[in-house]
Amino acid sequence: MAENNAPQNTDHSPSARSRGLGRLVVTVYGIFAISATARAGYQIATKFTEAPLAYTLSAVAAVVYIVATVAMARRSVATWYLTVGAVLLELVGVLAVGTFSVVAPQDFAQDTVWSVYGRGYGFVPLVLPFVGLAWLYANRPRAAAGSR
Amino acid sequence: MITDPFFWIGTAVCAASLVVCLVAAATKRYPGDAAILSVAAVELFLLVFGIGAIVRQAGGEAVRGEPWEFWGYELTALVLPIAAFWWAILDKSRWSNVVLAAVPITLFVMLFRIEQIWNGAY
Repeated sequence: MAENNAPQNTDHSPSARSRGLGRLVVTVYGIFAISATARAGYQIATKFTEAPLAYTLSAVAAVVYIVATVAMARRSVATWYLTVGAVLLELVGVLAVGTFSVVAPQDFAQDTVWSVYGRGYGFVPLVLPFVGLAWLYANRPRAAAGSR
Repeated sequence: MITDPFFWIGTAVCAASLVVCLVAAATKRYPGDAAILSVAAVELFLLVFGIGAIVRQAGGEAVRGEPWEFWGYELTALVLPIAAFWWAILDKSRWSNVVLAAVPITLFVMLFRIEQIWNGAY
């Protein structure tokens, strides 16, 4: 099962988190960074006064995805912790905004990335933070392996 | 129902590229030539679509939605395959092909939105 895809660096560590499967994780985060930024920019530029709270949260989501993408693509241990913070914020955001948008839909414009747990994006925004955290855990800093 | 032949050609190109990239992911431990070429085909389609859109819009098929949103999607779509190609080949592994496979999936969704904006169906 376990195949040797990258002989030069197969073990998991913070510096390996953007390699192998991590390549795809960064790619999906990047796609969401772009789409969330474009959506938030469009909403704030054209109709911010209609739903300031929802569109501000759109902008927050965009920033969280940008930070998560860039930090996940890095190698250092410090940026590993930054990635954990961004992905945890993403998890809290999608759960909180998702729940609020279900409980009180009248207070919430439906068109943010995190509305109804990301239904407009195939629920990928709900799954992504769990994938991100699992991948970060697999590549967590280990005392013994910190000599890279 | 979308009747624009450009949309269906684009859908076919994206579907074919997705299959090629996934087969490459299953069979190769490096970015496959066919996977890279299939993503290049998607990029080529987007160029043809963009030039076609200029010609068609100049000929009277106006965008019913926001024109700048239409072109925002189109320009972003043109950059994505190049960015994904760069990212995929920097770390050569089986997963490079899956990164490339993300291109046709994402671009199909974007093409659908582009078509909606053009037809004014929100």
